Amino acid sequence: MRLLLSGNAAAAWGFRLSRVQTYPYYPITPSTNCSEQVATWVGNGELDAVVINVESEHSAASAVISSAKSVRAGTATSSKGLLYMVEVLENASGGSIPFTIFVGNRATGAPINIWGDHSDAYAVRDSGYIQLFATDAQEALDGIIQAYRIGEDLSVRQPVMVNLRGFTGTHTYEGVAVPSAAEVDSFLPAFLPLEPLLDPDRPVTYGAMLSAPYYRRHKRNQSAALMNALAVAEKVGRQFGEQFGRTYRNIEWVGDQQAELVVALMGETARTAETVVSQLRGLHGIPGLAVLKIRLFNPFPAKDVAEALFKAGCKAVVVLDEGMSHGDVFPPLALRIACALQTHAGNAAPRVASVIGGLGGSEIRPEHFQTLFNLAANISEGRPYRREPYWLDIEEDPILLTDQSKVDPKLWKRYGDIWKAQPILSQYHTPLSGSNFELRLYGRAGQGAITSAVFFTGAGVENGLRVLTKPTFGSERRGAVVHTDTLLHTGGEHSSRSFSGRQDLVCIYDDTILTSPAHAPAQNLKPNGTLVVNTNQYSPARVRQLLGLTDSSISVYVIPANQIAGELRLGSYFNMVMLGAMHRVCPHLDFDAAMTFYEKNVPKPKEANLEAIRRGYQRVTQQETAPVPAPPPDKMADAYFDWRPEEETLEEEILRSMEVIRG
Amino acid sequence: MDGSEKHNGNEGKRLLPTRNQHREFHVSGRMVTMSQQQGHASGETSAPQRDGKLLGFPVTKNGRTPEKPHGLLKAPEILSLEELARRSIDGLDYHTLMDQLTDRGPDARLLLAYRDGKLVRQEIFEDPRICKDMQRGAVIHNLEQKPVDVSGWRVHDFYIDSKGCLGEICSRCIRVCPENAIHLRGDGAGSFAEIDPKACKGCFICWVECTRKSADCILIDGKVFHSELRAQHFGE
Repeated sequence: MRLLLSGNAAAAWGFRLSRVQTYPYYPITPSTNCSEQVATWVGNGELDAVVINVESEHSAASAVISSAKSVRAGTATSSKGLLYMVEVLENASGGSIPFTIFVGNRATGAPINIWGDHSDAYAVRDSGYIQLFATDAQEALDGIIQAYRIGEDLSVRQPVMVNLRGFTGTHTYEGVAVPSAAEVDSFLPAFLPLEPLLDPDRPVTYGAMLSAPYYRRHKRNQSAALMNALAVAEKVGRQFGEQFGRTYRNIEWVGDQQAELVVALMGETARTAETVVSQLRGLHGIPGLAVLKIRLFNPFPAKDVAEALFKAGCKAVVVLDEGMSHGDVFPPLALRIACALQTHAGNAAPRVASVIGGLGGSEIRPEHFQTLFNLAANISEGRPYRREPYWLDIEEDPILLTDQSKVDPKLWKRYGDIWKAQPILSQYHTPLSGSNFELRLYGRAGQGAITSAVFFTGAGVENGLRVLTKPTFGSERRGAVVHTDTLLHTGGEHSSRSFSGRQDLVCIYDDTILTSPAHAPAQNLKPNGTLVVNTNQYSPARVRQLLGLTDSSISVYVIPANQIAGELRLGSYFNMVMLGAMHRVCPHLDFDAAMTFYEKNVPKPKEANLEAIRRGYQRVTQQETAPVPAPPPDKMADAYFDWRPEEETLEEEILRSMEVIRG
Repeated sequence: MDGSEKHNGNEGKRLLPTRNQHREFHVSGRMVTMSQQQGHASGETSAPQRDGKLLGFPVTKNGRTPEKPHGLLKAPEILSLEELARRSIDGLDYHTLMDQLTDRGPDARLLLAYRDGKLVRQEIFEDPRICKDMQRGAVIHNLEQKPVDVSGWRVHDFYIDSKGCLGEICSRCIRVCPENAIHLRGDGAGSFAEIDPKACKGCFICWVECTRKSADCILIDGKVFHSELRAQHFGE
């Protein structure tokens, strides 16, 4: 069964298919929707489980730990929520209590930031949890099912965290293959408590106090059990592949078998790195390239990583961390890889450079990986490089020098020689063929722009296209300008999750956005791109003028969507009209095929919404439209706006208040 | 419960299922009202035959502890090769299992999980523990294990003089000890309480609670009860 799901919903399906029995949770952005979905299913009887609405993440963790002593339990959290759980987290790993936490990875303030990076997972890396990093919604679903299998393995019995980057992972809508309950049941046996808390025939004590000799002996056991997860995770990933057709490894190698230059990273960003490798491979002057994707972060597969890099003849590895370890030699992933190489490969170890990027929701785009491979090439040629982390996208502290005047003078004193010795190699910066169709919708929150993007994505997924939609979040208050990006893969074997930032199609839901200086909605349109505007007061020529569009290869369409919605008595719900208009100008998704999806899925009133889509498709136009006549003056409204309390006499005031009472 | 359909003449009231023999509970809205159970006109005439051992726990009609509803929370059996050989369990393929256990080495274990008396899971795995004296997850099996050395906190020696101790007649210290460190030795009149020095944390509770203070029953560092020591310890 292939469904259109967000990353959070996919994780919820993971819990549902694993037949989770207890699910205590406390909501936190960006993993709330996962818990809400589970609670909804429990509420309507689709899932036989107990949901506990606790008063904090600390209690959620306590409840999940105590229930996991006897039944299968799970929860979801993020950022500060995970940090609030820290105090009790180790009671689970120390008590050998298996369960799964889904973590929508998010930055940990201050400053407060709700967007994605790996800071929260890094903060709890030493708490003895098995940590898996998922690349997309599909991997989150599969990861949770495997997490229960790995954690509950009799030689492991440790808790697991399944990580997915916040928003770009958890809120991105994409097609997800959802296995059937029977299939999952045959893969994942029913929960078996080894030391059930409430067996009256064999009462047990968890968490008793132990003095040093016993404490250290227990910690030795715990560590042995956790390290067993390395082999078990590999085995479970392989068996999952045999049954479901999607094989997972602890570490994944994408690119050339013999690769001099390697970029190592975790999680969602890996897909972008893979597209860059597939496009740069084999170009003149570029040696073997590869991406090393770490899926199992804890316990760290140190020997496998060192072996993989050694066998590939790697000379330089650049590690990208989406999080920090303040004051440490390197951030956590780079630290672990450098340590693994030093321990297992010794003198034959490739050189390791560390880069910090993607913090607090910063985008990591293909051109960033071009820079990273360039850096790796410079290092492999023996040029000097930094023994401290590099940073992505800091103009005052660039990785490769482009403009010395912008560089911070303090840093120039320290690293000037390194910058001067590091050339920019043009072959790594060959423009990438961005063959994907990118679509951006601008609307005001409440107008349903995200809904129409999700519908469009659903129709695409249903018709076998690879489409994903990433709404932007943060300013969702009603009336604020929001936008949503949709990516439609039109070629290439690797599916990128990264947006180039340049669109083929921009739809503007509200003509007041045209004149909003903060947004400049058309500035990143590609040549030959298309612009669709919902307006009944501006003509296409006037829209061009308002946006300062000089490129004549860009076509501008207008549609009076509000007016059409009014004709159909849909009130202000004109997003379906805009959806129809989008289809007219998007060449990649057949309108009739999409309509069959909409016929099944549009919200009520069904007929009116379907007709809205059709009319939107028909009436969007490039023609100069006759301006709609100004509406007749509204006397009531004028009186309302003209009214001033200080001009009112007592008599009028009394009359007015009586009017209000009379309604 | 046989009275579940009765409304006691009150519309919209719901009877709660209960094990209580002499009271019944009705819910209307957010209010719970309590009344005498049918057939129990007054609580005094038919006082329940409470068994002292079940004090505080629900008493069922036959006076026995309620049956466990199912074996859901039952701990599985984990057997080594030697333990399996010592047992005779029906329905197991002993030949194959013992071969497999031998192949996996001395740490191989056989897990047998039962539900409702039926074998639901049987699996051979390798015990990951290095230190076999510790249970997995440092769990303590209350009925099998005694408290181990937790007395790192103790700074005094506690000793019960058996001459002064009343033994099972009193047994107050045994009941109040929070660490279960005091045990009864002997029977009847000759019995006396004894402190396990490995488990005692030195909390002074037995010393404070002892009914035989005047008989100098509990000695601390060989000293008998006196007000100076008490003031030193409790800051009085």
